[in-house]
Amino acid sequence: MTGDGQSQARPRFEFRRNTWILAAGFLALLCAVNYFLQDNFFEPGVMVSNLTTFTPLILIAIGQTYVILASDIDLSVGAIVSLVNVVTVSIMHHLGGDALAVAAGIGAGVATGLAAGAANGLCVAALRFQPIITTFATGTVFAGLALWILPDAGTVQAPEPVWRTYSASFVGVPFVIWSLGVVALGCWLYSRSRPYLTLMAVGGNIRAAFGSGLPVMRTRIAGYVICGLFCSLGALALTGETATGDPLIGIAFTLSSISAVVLGGTALSGGVGGVLGSVLGAILLGLISNVIFFAGTPFEYQNLIQGVIVLVALAGGVFVSRGGAR
Amino acid sequence: MTVLEAADVHKRFGGVVALAGANLELAAGEVHVLIGANGCGKSTLCKIITGSVFADRGTIRLDGRAMRFRTPSEAARAGVGVFYQELSLIPQLTVAENLFLRRPPRSRAGLVDRRRLRREASRALERFAGAIGDIGPDHLVADLSADQRQVVEILKVLVDEPRVILFDEPTAALDNRQVEVFFDLVDALRREGRSIIFISHRMDEVFRIGDRVTVFRNGESVATMHIADTDKDEVVEKMLGTRIEAVERRRDAPKAADVAMRAEAIGGTHFDDVSFDLRRGEILGLGGLHGQGQSSLLRALFGADNAFSGSVAVGGEVYRPRGPRDAIRAGVAYVSGDRGRDGVFPVRPVFENFVAALLTRRRRARLDRRALSAEVGAVGDRLKLRAASLDALISELSGGNQQKVVIGRWLVNEPRILLLDDPTKGIDLNTKSDLYRILDELCMEGVSVVFYSSEERELLANADRIAVFNGGRVVDLLEGERVSELNLYRAAFAAEGH
Repeated sequence: MTGDGQSQARPRFEFRRNTWILAAGFLALLCAVNYFLQDNFFEPGVMVSNLTTFTPLILIAIGQTYVILASDIDLSVGAIVSLVNVVTVSIMHHLGGDALAVAAGIGAGVATGLAAGAANGLCVAALRFQPIITTFATGTVFAGLALWILPDAGTVQAPEPVWRTYSASFVGVPFVIWSLGVVALGCWLYSRSRPYLTLMAVGGNIRAAFGSGLPVMRTRIAGYVICGLFCSLGALALTGETATGDPLIGIAFTLSSISAVVLGGTALSGGVGGVLGSVLGAILLGLISNVIFFAGTPFEYQNLIQGVIVLVALAGGVFVSRGGAR
Repeated sequence: MTVLEAADVHKRFGGVVALAGANLELAAGEVHVLIGANGCGKSTLCKIITGSVFADRGTIRLDGRAMRFRTPSEAARAGVGVFYQELSLIPQLTVAENLFLRRPPRSRAGLVDRRRLRREASRALERFAGAIGDIGPDHLVADLSADQRQVVEILKVLVDEPRVILFDEPTAALDNRQVEVFFDLVDALRREGRSIIFISHRMDEVFRIGDRVTVFRNGESVATMHIADTDKDEVVEKMLGTRIEAVERRRDAPKAADVAMRAEAIGGTHFDDVSFDLRRGEILGLGGLHGQGQSSLLRALFGADNAFSGSVAVGGEVYRPRGPRDAIRAGVAYVSGDRGRDGVFPVRPVFENFVAALLTRRRRARLDRRALSAEVGAVGDRLKLRAASLDALISELSGGNQQKVVIGRWLVNEPRILLLDDPTKGIDLNTKSDLYRILDELCMEGVSVVFYSSEERELLANADRIAVFNGGRVVDLLEGERVSELNLYRAAFAAEGH
């Protein structure tokens, strides 16, 4: 018991704290492959266009990260994205599509995301329902609401200023870059705050966090609400890109956001990881599709190959972190 | 002046009475020790004071005002800090983050001030400088050894500068040097006028650091004494109460002298340098307070934990199980009181629960249900098992009957050595006496038993000899005349020879 009392604490393996490093390595590799297949890959226009395509997933994955860091999970993110999309587009459309209508649509969309996140958080943290089942169920409700609001895709369009702004540049810098910059600043500030430390503590060991006098319930709810906020931002980006209302638009984001988070090195068990990794993971997922496309892979193999690459990347992460933990 | 007062506190957990009238008076600037046997209510009282458990009855007064904290954070805000036995650290965070988890220093912008966090953590760690190796504020708690974590936990309580501090066995994992540093720290806290409740199982520590001691017995506080006016024998007497009378011994020691199992200087996760000869037909009791290495020893002997160091021989042959499978084939059986974790397959029939271990021993692919049913039925009768049929789900049985099935599983297997890890936990008196009777019969047949129980009287009534554990080592081996409650307590609390 008293054992090796004076044992030196082992030097820490970098991956343990900078969990995103491996994703960064993979990303560099993939960029090289992509450049080999598509020689204008590093041209600013192409890079910005790629980033524009990846932005919705980046934002949604950031939201998912905070939930997973608190050792919960959100299977309703895809449905929230769909719901926010149809709410935003419908309101803009019905109010006539002027500047005021656009603002109202955006406001309503963000409010929808926050409300959906709060509903998840209350069910999971206050009522103590099991996170997987609960968010699967609430996701079905959100998806149902989206279909009720707008049964058919493409019947309602976003007003022109929306997609014009989304693809515009300000002071020579594209709107998407500005947005991601603001998000990055927000995430950085949050990561230095007391609530974030509490979030990591709750995800690390919920009983110890409670015993230490931390507000466990409030923290878990906050994780879901922040996730809802980022889902609404992701949905707005998606709306800017597609300029249309589609009640099924978000479906694929649920699992790809979780893949992005895990690829980024965040542990599903909570308390380990961060949003930087998830951002890299989201870009990684996008680039994998890119590479497969430019490599001229026959359509019928694309899913198969994409799946295998994701599996390899995950396995690499697992092996490295296990090696580091020993 | 009284800072904290607990008056007539009662608490039940289901049918178990944890506290039945506990009283405590903590004076300003004193170190007040709580002492008592397993499950006598000390820890429960601490949890009630700090708001992680609610009392059924009774009052807690802080500075003369009745208080009822609903969470540990309310207690912390009122200046009551607690050191938890089950640590409250977050392994994924750094030492500094853990120390200031509740209230990390903030910069003017409202963000966590990392530099100040690190600096203040370094300053806190300096209190144990030289005794905890070179850990710094940036080390992850996951990388620390058990004693280092315990030190961080102690420091974490102190960063809030509480006026009242409850230490629930803070020295359990510390080495001698760290204990000395800790006691210097406690002295300093006392000089600052802080009041300390200190739970310990080490009699030496009680007399080294305490001002007063309150003795607990069966959920009641039975006496409060000044340390200067008492001695170890008196404290042990108070713990025992009036029942000094000898527990009636139920059987004579076995005559056979041949050794069934010989352990020489074996060590493992929570025990060290343990040696014993287990004779054929003998019950060797493992005594001492809960969690002193007895269960770990039994699990290691069954191959269920990490391998042990040192050597063990069963029937004269080297015994080194790589898993329970090896143990079973060597004729070693293990029954745990923790049925949920170690024993029962809950939604399966009684029959399957019976034959689980048999399958390992006999290496037979085919289950001859009829032949096995006869065997199992006979064992069930012997155990007086009350089950509707062998096809009933085991989860439909009472706890006692479930435990009979788990024991029966091993009887079907005809073991040579039976390892019992607190097997009567939570079972009724009738089942207990059935179990004792069966143990006697088994011993007559030449089976040897290693028996750990958290109930002293159960050990005294059944064991031929008792090896008393303290801190993972055997501190005394009680034989013949010396098998008595008094000696058991004295050894368990290390109160001998002073």
